Amino acid sequence: MSEPLLRTEGLTRHFKVGPLMSRQTLHAVDDVDLTIGEGEIVALVGESGSGKSTIARLLALIYRPTKGEIYFRGKPVSRLRSRKERLAYSGEVPMVFQDPYSSINPAYRVSHGIMRGLKLHRTKLGRRGRREELEHVLGTVGLVPAQDVVQKYPYELSGGQRQRIGFAQALGLRPKLIVADEPVSMLDVSIRVGILNLMTELREREGVSFLYITHDVASARYIADRVLVMYAGHLVEEGPTEDVLQRPKHPYTQLLLSAVPDPKAKLGLADTIDVGEPPRVVNPTPGCRFRQRCPHRVVACEGLTPLLREIGPGRRVACHVAEPDVASAASA
Amino acid sequence: MFVVLAVFPGQIAPDDPAAEIFQPGLGASSHHLLGTTAYGQDVFSQIVWGTRQSLLIAFAVGGLATLLAVLIGVTAAYIGGTTDGVLSLVTDVILVIPIFPLVIVIAAYQKNAGFATLVIVLGALGWSYGARQLRSQTLSMRMRDFLEAARVRGERRSYIILFEILPTMTSLIVAAFLGAAVYAVLTAAGLQFIGLGDPNSQSWGTMLYWAENNEALGAGMPLWAIMPGVCVALLGAAFALLNYAFDEISNPALRPVRRIRPAAVAPLEPAAAATDPDTILEVADLSVAYATGTEPVVAVDHVDLQLARGEFLAIVGESGCGKSTLLYAISRLLNPPAEITGGSVRFHGRDLVALGESELRSIRWSELSVVMQSAMNALNPVLTVGAQMRDACKAHSDMTSAEITARSKEVLRLVSIDPIHLHSYPHQLSGGMRQRAMIAMALLFSPELIIMDEPTSALDVVAQRSLMVQIKELQKRLGFAVVFVTHDMSLVSHFSDRLMVMYAGQVVELGETRQLFDAPLHPYSGGLLEAFPSVRGPKVPLLGIPGSPPDLARPPAGCRFQPRCPVATDACLAASPPLYPVDGSLVRCVRYEQRDVA
Repeated sequence: MSEPLLRTEGLTRHFKVGPLMSRQTLHAVDDVDLTIGEGEIVALVGESGSGKSTIARLLALIYRPTKGEIYFRGKPVSRLRSRKERLAYSGEVPMVFQDPYSSINPAYRVSHGIMRGLKLHRTKLGRRGRREELEHVLGTVGLVPAQDVVQKYPYELSGGQRQRIGFAQALGLRPKLIVADEPVSMLDVSIRVGILNLMTELREREGVSFLYITHDVASARYIADRVLVMYAGHLVEEGPTEDVLQRPKHPYTQLLLSAVPDPKAKLGLADTIDVGEPPRVVNPTPGCRFRQRCPHRVVACEGLTPLLREIGPGRRVACHVAEPDVASAASA
Repeated sequence: MFVVLAVFPGQIAPDDPAAEIFQPGLGASSHHLLGTTAYGQDVFSQIVWGTRQSLLIAFAVGGLATLLAVLIGVTAAYIGGTTDGVLSLVTDVILVIPIFPLVIVIAAYQKNAGFATLVIVLGALGWSYGARQLRSQTLSMRMRDFLEAARVRGERRSYIILFEILPTMTSLIVAAFLGAAVYAVLTAAGLQFIGLGDPNSQSWGTMLYWAENNEALGAGMPLWAIMPGVCVALLGAAFALLNYAFDEISNPALRPVRRIRPAAVAPLEPAAAATDPDTILEVADLSVAYATGTEPVVAVDHVDLQLARGEFLAIVGESGCGKSTLLYAISRLLNPPAEITGGSVRFHGRDLVALGESELRSIRWSELSVVMQSAMNALNPVLTVGAQMRDACKAHSDMTSAEITARSKEVLRLVSIDPIHLHSYPHQLSGGMRQRAMIAMALLFSPELIIMDEPTSALDVVAQRSLMVQIKELQKRLGFAVVFVTHDMSLVSHFSDRLMVMYAGQVVELGETRQLFDAPLHPYSGGLLEAFPSVRGPKVPLLGIPGSPPDLARPPAGCRFQPRCPVATDACLAASPPLYPVDGSLVRCVRYEQRDVA
């Protein structure tokens, strides 16, 4: 198999929490192996606190991993020493933030971030070149007429327009992989799908890969080729989107899917009332982190952390009791 | 004005302030506006020339102190860690040093210290307060996404501090500058008054010093002392005003709010209210406006709704559609600049709009309670859940302590929280538990109506679902009515009896929930339903609704949805349609006009 665009190996990030005397370790991300191919849209799904935003920040080099390594085109990212090498990486792997109201500096016109990005990363462009590129990327994300948009301050744009500015900033860097951390969750329902469509278009036209981080399974289904499910810092299930959503194997994925509000489905009120919530993973002991909420718990779940294992083509699940994915094996 | 005096002293006051050429001790006259000093100097000239020195000190010290404050405050906060620890310690130490006595000591040591020394000493001691403020502001911004965005972009730290952080803090920096300037003028005047510094320099403080030395009051020349004093006070006031002005310019939220005179609210004929004995809430023709800018912005536009005992009504719409404002208006919790400009809210036949605050208090909580969006903000972080329940009980009833405890435990059990959490503080509960605790508190007095403003939007899908199921079960058991506001239509699809869709301040559709989901009448309701993908069924490309909701300060002509509507015609531009009744639903769309006639 050829080397994927980006791959992580045992990616781990812990945070020290609590007062100085009784420091504890919060396991935000533990031992995550993931891959993202060229031109692929991968969705990373999970609840708040599951570690998905930490992964975004690890990939964007905001945090350093506690353990593990990120390989970009086969090269370990931790070996990037010089400023030039790190700049080159962050130009190829930019990030789009969740909150369009706080991710643009309110003191500048909206073109500021795009122009700075061009100046830092596209050093060959002259003044005029930058100007042209600015208008080009604004047009690409659907902000037209660009000449009017560049004059505006952030407060003059709607949430959806600001999020498009975020994508324009990323695009100006000629990226290979855009890490999009919940890019639609703060937007109004009627304009969310516009941003999702924009991501699909950018993949088609510019060949950009996406890591789409979301808590919303339905939107992941809408755009992603593959989906990764996180729970309490662990990757618990992965596979082609339709396979995972049609035949979820991990009990957590099953719970998550059953909770998605679906106006078209019938609902019995006796339906699963699960009052449990994801644990904060502080100084964890070995064992499955979902076991307290799991209806299928067995003895092994107490002391043995389940590892991801192959249960079908491209499908992996971290669960002691999950069955192999028969349907996908048969179709393959 | 002081600036003019400082820049052109020569033109305004021709007499050399130091020259002792006039007759000493003259009173005020047309030539010597404020008289002359004991040495025959012109007081007016001295004042004018003194202005120059005071302002020079003010700007020099202000500049120096602000520079230090910015450098130290912002750097400390942004870099954090040990750097922050050390710099903050220095800041705090300087903050607690009694500056004035220290300056006296330094000045006494450096006899006849000149202007430069004064500026340096005052500047070096005066930055700490501003630094503290800037540090805390920077701390609150450090994790803001645009700074992370700049870091991800690969900006250097110095660039981020200078060009990303500082421009957003101009108003604080100006405040720090003006604060330091006022302090400099006062301290300098004080120092010179007690005779430190160069007694031959031209400044207000020196004038006071000489006035004191020559016993101004005893000599019958109060102007010697009064005028410099007045000037110091005026300058201080001028700086303070400048500060306010700048704040107002840079932050529109601080501008004074004009209140809207509500149009005379026509009293509703009581006959209309008594139609159905089962109706517990009747909102009629309710309008709310925000007093911003020149024209009031109408956020809730003539809304009518009735709610029956035990009914679950969901209000759905996007941000800015007026749904939350409507809730606040119903529960009479609006704050200026928002105000009810017309209509009535009848709860059990009483018009809440006309009630005073004390009468409202007796109704709120006991008969009508409110659950807010963010439990973390609504709960008091320093009180246990039990203490907050006790406070509520004491304020709204005369229950005994034992009764209160029993009732508190009972309501917690209702929402499946272990009563042991009566002793927990809000931060010890998870998000879902906090929200359930809020609902438990709302249930304390078995109200007939609970108003909920997006109670689940801060929760994850799984917690969201379980909370919804729980609300519905409680409602079945206890029989209260619910008004539930949300932006997520699919969330309420299985829970609400009726659904009200709002757009740009108006009700656009109101009908049975199931019917509305199966066959939405208004193009906007239909658009919302089709706007977002589903986890089940075939995967279809979606278009969403083009454009974005209108600015309520300038609503579009005719139907408010018309600019985004896929089926709009010329008729939609002509006039804003009323609500038409269609098969038991109401819909604001001109396409249903004919049916109305039929």
